[in-house]
Amino acid sequence: MKTLTTPRPSAAAAPVPATPRRRRRPARTAAVWILVGPYTAFLVVFGLAPAGYALWTSFVDNGSFTGGRDWATVFEDYRLGDAAANVATYLLLWLPILLLTVLSLAFTLHARPGRTTSALQLVYYLPGAVTGSAAALLWLFMVSPDSSPFSPLLKLMDIQSATDALSGGSVIAVLTVMGVAVHAGGWIVVLYGALNALPKDVLEAAQVDGASAWRTMWHVKLPMVRTYVAFVLISSFASGSQVFVEPTVLSTGAPGQISPTWSLNQLAYTYATQDGDFGKAAALSLAMLAVGVLAAWIVITRTRMYATDSSDSR
Amino acid sequence: MTALSRGARALFLLGAAVFFGLPLLWLLLAPTRTADDLTTGSPLGFGSLGNVGDAWSHLMSYNDGQITLWIGNSIIYAAASVAVSLLLCVPAGYALAKHDFAGRRALLTLSIVTMILPPAALVLPLYLEMSALNLTGTVWSVILPLSFYPFGVYLAFLHFQANLPDSLLDAGRVDGASELRLFWSVAVPLARPAIALIAFFGFVRCWTDFFLPFVMLSDDRTFTLQLGLMSLLQSTGAVNNSSGFADLDIHQPEAALAGLVACAPLLIGFVLAQRFLRTGLLAGAEKG
Repeated sequence: MKTLTTPRPSAAAAPVPATPRRRRRPARTAAVWILVGPYTAFLVVFGLAPAGYALWTSFVDNGSFTGGRDWATVFEDYRLGDAAANVATYLLLWLPILLLTVLSLAFTLHARPGRTTSALQLVYYLPGAVTGSAAALLWLFMVSPDSSPFSPLLKLMDIQSATDALSGGSVIAVLTVMGVAVHAGGWIVVLYGALNALPKDVLEAAQVDGASAWRTMWHVKLPMVRTYVAFVLISSFASGSQVFVEPTVLSTGAPGQISPTWSLNQLAYTYATQDGDFGKAAALSLAMLAVGVLAAWIVITRTRMYATDSSDSR
Repeated sequence: MTALSRGARALFLLGAAVFFGLPLLWLLLAPTRTADDLTTGSPLGFGSLGNVGDAWSHLMSYNDGQITLWIGNSIIYAAASVAVSLLLCVPAGYALAKHDFAGRRALLTLSIVTMILPPAALVLPLYLEMSALNLTGTVWSVILPLSFYPFGVYLAFLHFQANLPDSLLDAGRVDGASELRLFWSVAVPLARPAIALIAFFGFVRCWTDFFLPFVMLSDDRTFTLQLGLMSLLQSTGAVNNSSGFADLDIHQPEAALAGLVACAPLLIGFVLAQRFLRTGLLAGAEKG
């Protein structure tokens, strides 16, 4: 399979240059709303309304205003500190390692494109297909010295059983390795595509000037794809802060080792299902939703996703 | 490039390939082996295809073949969600790209915000809403939220904006075609490859989703394969000998086979769609 030779300039890095302002037809309102109406209804019902309803629930109980009581109880919960610390540690470990893996592999692949490069990209990409509970299942096996192909490595680290690997602080290490395996491949493909889309003359000019491969990477290529790097970083931050599935499923392999309120989302889930306290669940999930919206907003402004829409770009 | 740096490069790429590839290779080989062989034999041996058949029949004996029910559920939920989301997002993407109307910009902004939002962020608020509407536990509580797919709208929008010339639509208008007819008879047929791509991404999303069905569904007859896999692990002790029922023949090879079944459509899909996935069109933007 051939590598991409005429890559499409990507939306984020190189916004489509605004075509001379094309006049859209004045709306034929009925027809337009038949086209966008159903989607708009879904956007309202499944995008905006849940957030609004959660806000209502966090302040109103059985028709009476509760003030900030639910919010206050959540912020006083002793489990919140633990969960926040877990998620923060996970992000601190996972994000730099993920970014480093993605950058180093994409740049190394791009230094010498060829058929091997395509094959390797697929190998890096495929673990992304094993997600959710299948991924947790797979990594339970990978950290069990009995069955794991990595068992020499595990024995080196003095891990005798899956329970060992999932006890105490090492849960975070397992989650990090798992998270890198699942997420890196997709981003490598994205970043490699971005590198391919860079104008050839700039790279050649650097070569003519005698820049080493390392200098070219550091001073020419990296600055040109930095919007992508920001995109990877911020959206991974947002999704990592919502971690839920992995600790939930991993805990089935080593019962008692991972707390059911290990992550913030797990804690919010516990409020809603175990305690039946929707007010607290709503307050906590809104706080996390705010983090997500903030990250989304930074992505949009940093990467100028809007600029893909020619008429709104100015 | 010097021989040394070439060697270092190859070593680095190969090391990464081992890290990414080995778990997958293990998963492919595990169902061919017996539980004993998995713990005592070499980590990457090949057993026999007969063992795969045995493992499958053991899986089928779990709650009278409940796994086929889960596979069926997963297919129904994913197919219904993808179908509805296509009906919603292709026309919306077209209208946003080709028409000007009040609220257009707000709709576009909100779509991009919700598209970048991690999917898990909205799950609990959705649960509260669904529970207020008495819909939790029903298939609708999974299918309808999954049908809301802003990334699909964004892809359709980008496609129509870049690839559908206005002159073509104007020609149709001169011929007296209505706006809806233009969409159906001109835009949609030309956009078939883009629609297929949106459907593929949407399918991947629905098939792998865990948190939403996990929160919405409580009856294991309505479970998706992803949920079923977890309840299978919990109740059989396939990966943890201290819990579960020893009389069930569900051990590591069966668990690995179930895991493989859960991701098989995606593995196949990824290999087939590889060419599309490379176009660098922020293909990863929808990943969670």
